[in-house]
Amino acid sequence: MRILLLPLITALLSACVIAPLDIQRSELSEARALIAKSKAAGAERCAPEQQATAVARLYMAAHEYSEGDVHPEEQQELVEGSMKAAREAYRVARKGCSKKVEVITLEGVYFETNSDKLTDASVATLNGAVSTLKRRSSIHVEVAAHTDSRGSAAYNLDLSNRRAVSVMAYLTEHGVDAGRLSSKGYGETSPITDNGSAAGRAKNRRVELRIQ
Amino acid sequence: MMRWLLLPALMLVASPVSATSIFTGIEERSKTIYTDLKGNNSYHAHLARKLAIYAGVEKGQADITAARQLMDLADEHARKAGGQ
Repeated sequence: MRILLLPLITALLSACVIAPLDIQRSELSEARALIAKSKAAGAERCAPEQQATAVARLYMAAHEYSEGDVHPEEQQELVEGSMKAAREAYRVARKGCSKKVEVITLEGVYFETNSDKLTDASVATLNGAVSTLKRRSSIHVEVAAHTDSRGSAAYNLDLSNRRAVSVMAYLTEHGVDAGRLSSKGYGETSPITDNGSAAGRAKNRRVELRIQ
Repeated sequence: MMRWLLLPALMLVASPVSATSIFTGIEERSKTIYTDLKGNNSYHAHLARKLAIYAGVEKGQADITAARQLMDLADEHARKAGGQ
């Protein structure tokens, strides 16, 4: 009887060993590749539900394969379902991620020359921005500041960063939740018109709210 | 002879009881995920919920090991989603 006991205990113990969900197995390579492709296209951000469906089905497929050929139809169904979701995620990501960001240009925000100090003339525009942000309380925005091309690129980038911070500070001081805001300076990298004229440079020096 | 048959017999009788205990844990963890991630539509939140559902499916099929693995993964993604 002792001879029989050893295999019995071994069998019982082996049933307790947890095999990991191996999504790297060869049967799942095609689904893995599609998921990687959709992820690279930005699906986790732009098509989160479809991407999550693809990955969850991949894990379930890995589980079904770990049981051998007990449920071959389920294995196939899960792999195909994973690939279908990944393709959909890719399609949505390609379309959705290329959408233009909604930008509100704050016409009438001025700073002292070579400074991040807001002028009094900016108050009306900034108060309007405060009202807008309070009204649209669910949106998160990036305060983006731009300069013209005079001066060095590094200087302009630093100046625009400081100006973006100044505007963000004004908004928060007037009741906009700081958690909804971020600031970024773009320097002279994103002109909207030619920097060759005074009028063009004035247009390029601007502050925007970029809705995230 | 009877002594050797007793061990497997006891294990067979006992396993549904211990399984029930583990399954209750999975249900609670699943509920926590749904509560914590309510309104969270990020990738990790979606994935956590879907894995929790699959864990429940495996629970229904009495596959404790798979249910626990899937639930562990669900918890991991719930944490990444900021839910736990």
